[in-house]
Amino acid sequence: MEVGAPVYREFGEAWEDNDGYRLARTLSPDLTPTQLSNIYQSINPDAGNWRNSQEDNVKGAIKRGLQASSARVKGLTNDEIKGWTDVYYAYWTAAGSIASARTQGQSAGGQSLWTEAFEQWKKLVNALIQGYNNHGFEAWTIPCLYVAGKQLRLFAMLADDERNKNALENDSANAFQDDFDPEADKHQKLEDCARVLNRVFTICLNDRAPLEESRKWGIYYIINLLFKTYFKLNSPSLAKNVIRALSAGRGDMPDFYNFPKSQQVTFKYHEGVLHFLDENYAEAEKHLTEAWGICHKNATRNKELILTYLIPCHLITTHTLPSENLLKPYPRLQKLFLPLCKCIKKGELHAFDLALQEGEDEFVERRIYLTLERGRDIALRNLLRKVFIAGGFMPATEGEKPVRRTRIPVAEFAAAISLGSKERVDNDEVECLLANMIYKGLMKGYIAREQGKVVLSKSGAFPGTGV
Amino acid sequence: MMPTWPAATPAAGVSPSNSYAATYSAAPAFTPVQVRQSFAQPYGNPAPSYSVTHNYASSQSSPTASTNYASASAVNAPPQEQPKKKIYWPESVRNYVQRSFIPANMEPSVTRAEMETKLKETITQATEKGVMYTLNWDTMPLPQQMILEERVRMAAFSRPPHPHGPATGNSSSPTSASKKRKSSDLTDAANLAAMPPWRSAQGVRLEDRVTFSKDKRPNVDEPADNTSKLNKFEKRQKRFNGGYTSAYRSPSPPPSDGPVVGTCQDLEKRYLRLTAAPKASQVRPPHILRQTLELLKKKWKKDQNYSYICDQFKSMRQDLTVQRVRDDFTVEVYEIHARIALEKGDLGEYNQCQTQLKALYKLGLKGKPNEFKAYRILYFVYTANRTELNNALADLTAAEKRDPAIKHALDVRSALALGNYHRFFQLYNETPNMGAYLMDMFVGRERLAALCNICKAYKPDVPLRFVTEELYFESDMEAAQFILDHNGQELLQEKEGTIMFLTGKAGQLFEGARAQAFSRVDIKGQI
Repeated sequence: MEVGAPVYREFGEAWEDNDGYRLARTLSPDLTPTQLSNIYQSINPDAGNWRNSQEDNVKGAIKRGLQASSARVKGLTNDEIKGWTDVYYAYWTAAGSIASARTQGQSAGGQSLWTEAFEQWKKLVNALIQGYNNHGFEAWTIPCLYVAGKQLRLFAMLADDERNKNALENDSANAFQDDFDPEADKHQKLEDCARVLNRVFTICLNDRAPLEESRKWGIYYIINLLFKTYFKLNSPSLAKNVIRALSAGRGDMPDFYNFPKSQQVTFKYHEGVLHFLDENYAEAEKHLTEAWGICHKNATRNKELILTYLIPCHLITTHTLPSENLLKPYPRLQKLFLPLCKCIKKGELHAFDLALQEGEDEFVERRIYLTLERGRDIALRNLLRKVFIAGGFMPATEGEKPVRRTRIPVAEFAAAISLGSKERVDNDEVECLLANMIYKGLMKGYIAREQGKVVLSKSGAFPGTGV
Repeated sequence: MMPTWPAATPAAGVSPSNSYAATYSAAPAFTPVQVRQSFAQPYGNPAPSYSVTHNYASSQSSPTASTNYASASAVNAPPQEQPKKKIYWPESVRNYVQRSFIPANMEPSVTRAEMETKLKETITQATEKGVMYTLNWDTMPLPQQMILEERVRMAAFSRPPHPHGPATGNSSSPTSASKKRKSSDLTDAANLAAMPPWRSAQGVRLEDRVTFSKDKRPNVDEPADNTSKLNKFEKRQKRFNGGYTSAYRSPSPPPSDGPVVGTCQDLEKRYLRLTAAPKASQVRPPHILRQTLELLKKKWKKDQNYSYICDQFKSMRQDLTVQRVRDDFTVEVYEIHARIALEKGDLGEYNQCQTQLKALYKLGLKGKPNEFKAYRILYFVYTANRTELNNALADLTAAEKRDPAIKHALDVRSALALGNYHRFFQLYNETPNMGAYLMDMFVGRERLAALCNICKAYKPDVPLRFVTEELYFESDMEAAQFILDHNGQELLQEKEGTIMFLTGKAGQLFEGARAQAFSRVDIKGQI
């Protein structure tokens, strides 16, 4: 009967210290199923006034527990106790569902245990939102929102997985439902989760209290959760709305660099990726570089994620490739980028095409395919540069530095381009590729079509490459 | 944004050729995108006025709605107060549903979709009458039995529903003149593959691909002012005729308890955006819709009245949606509407169809998924929607990537990504199915981009012929016109009998136009 007591004690102590993280621990679902079901069984819903409903009985018990443990705490109003009672009531119910989902999740396939856990947990999040909106919850308690939000997302994904696994069996039942897009149905709960998180975002954003006691300090944690959710839902455009809402209120926001580093890194990473997806490579590079700079040195996985986008960025903005040293700690990135890099470096056009094709599925999945494809320009540039160098020097005039041969027949370039694939490329197409090089500023010179020659600049025909 | 043309005051010289369109008002139905003007066909044939529509249903006993399309008030009747809460089916109902799908009870001539529809109908009726819990479900005839009975009654009563088969149209002889496949000859893509690619020989001209009669399109070799006048005329016509305003979005009535089962027997029905739960008497059941589709195909071939056709297709789609009919026939309706919308450059409507088709194909229904996946890629190339493009790429399987139409679309994408205009224009020339209508949407801006490239790279000049060939203009005249349209008159010069294009002097001339052409594409209903 009294297994719930530690929770109340923690609650009381957290309140005495105003320790939000300690308070958040009392709402943790990261307990063993046994612990969870103990919590659930700690209150007998049928005990108490028999005229009341079970819910009232449980709430009554919780309220008494909270009041007793926080008797010494000043400033905890009755209204707040009421709000927290709702929160712990939701937690108590959810604990039961989570415990049964954890124990039976695998064995009793077909039942939507995780869906139930998600729905119950959602009630907990909503009770918290209510608490902040109506019961005057204080800002130091926001870590409770972190725990609640983080778990909501995890339960949503578990619920979706569970449903998708059983989708085939439920098919005939679904015939009566309104879902049209089978794709949309796949992430039903996660979408629901995104909506709830968005409400949490709003209560953080719109807090008008002075900064020292503002819920605004919770904003980046919640934004990062939202980002992860939106990316998983394949709708980065929604993430942009969040940034827009944020920058609209940036004036009265605490300074970004006063937030925990971990939150800064995650935020900057996502901001960078969003710019990356918009082909805004310069901006993307700025944010990603910043994330890279403050990322913890041992967070290999995060660094790997940052590099996944930072490397293609660099390829576009500065035409540079990652060194082997940089990639050393990341075997996955080596596999991803090294074959392409090798081809670009050597100017092997055909091999580049093959390598791009080889990695296509993975590149597409990470949304870097369309960017990496543009590395072909650099590969081509390097190839053309080789032709230029192979052309050698003009007969030297007395007393002057030798000058490279700058008038090069288009046919020579054509031969180089078809070297790898052994396929003949007609001269018009070669000229088209050359025109692109010139237009993009990768090569300096012009095509004299009448002579079938390219006239390259005497000084710096291939800018930035030393010739 | 397009100025809206009040239908009541057509520009001088344009007679209201189409009373159907005139009954609609104001805003254009679709955002006119830069379609090649020559495709905008003047809608010459006066279409029948809507109020005197031939009563196709008259042969059938149709006590309901006597083709009174104006009975909008009926549709807008106060919504039935239906609680939004979810229904819990009693055990007996669930058993009944299960019983229906037991293999031993299955009827080979009744498809699953039909059964599901029937089941829904039965249960919905029971719910509406409030007899769900009182009905003896154990003695209820199974849906397949009901369907069979109905068929017998039907056969005795009226014409049997049209078997849903391939269009009867002119699929027999694809003439060389219709290289760009018309939506009105609803032939299979397979037939098309057998056709010689257009302009395989240099001699065949671009205009041969155009679907509409030659005399309607401006002659490229005529002086410029004449051309632009013609264009204006056509634009006006298009605005006028396409200026119907049915509500744009798909219907969004309050959710009802179950799908409606229609009883309406009319073949034609005007589209009206639903503001309340649909009434069974105004919804056409699938077997009527099949007849409707046949009728519409004929009408489209005969009249080519897009406003009318589009409206009719929208109402068909609505009827299918409210009855939750999602089968091969649904796919056919969406595909045909998508093709017609493509041909008319109505990308907003096309996009709605495409989005639905994507979902329908996912259900594993028959149709032409590859054809439409290829369009989808081209569409995203046009709208420069990288996110969706990436999604579209992610969706493709290895087998699909080898499909000729999809491969073509992928090649187009990659050619443009790499700036390979040479290859792009070759591909433009080899577009399968109706993809060329989509490519027409962006070929202009790609020409500008290529021209910018050429001007920067070639010195001092190139023959005009080179521009014509590289950018696939139909003639030197058209190429010259394109340059003139962008104020390039100074750049054309005759030299020893050939016209030269002075690339060296072009400077930044085409850059502005290029930037403008690549700025955001605005299409209503765009994802």
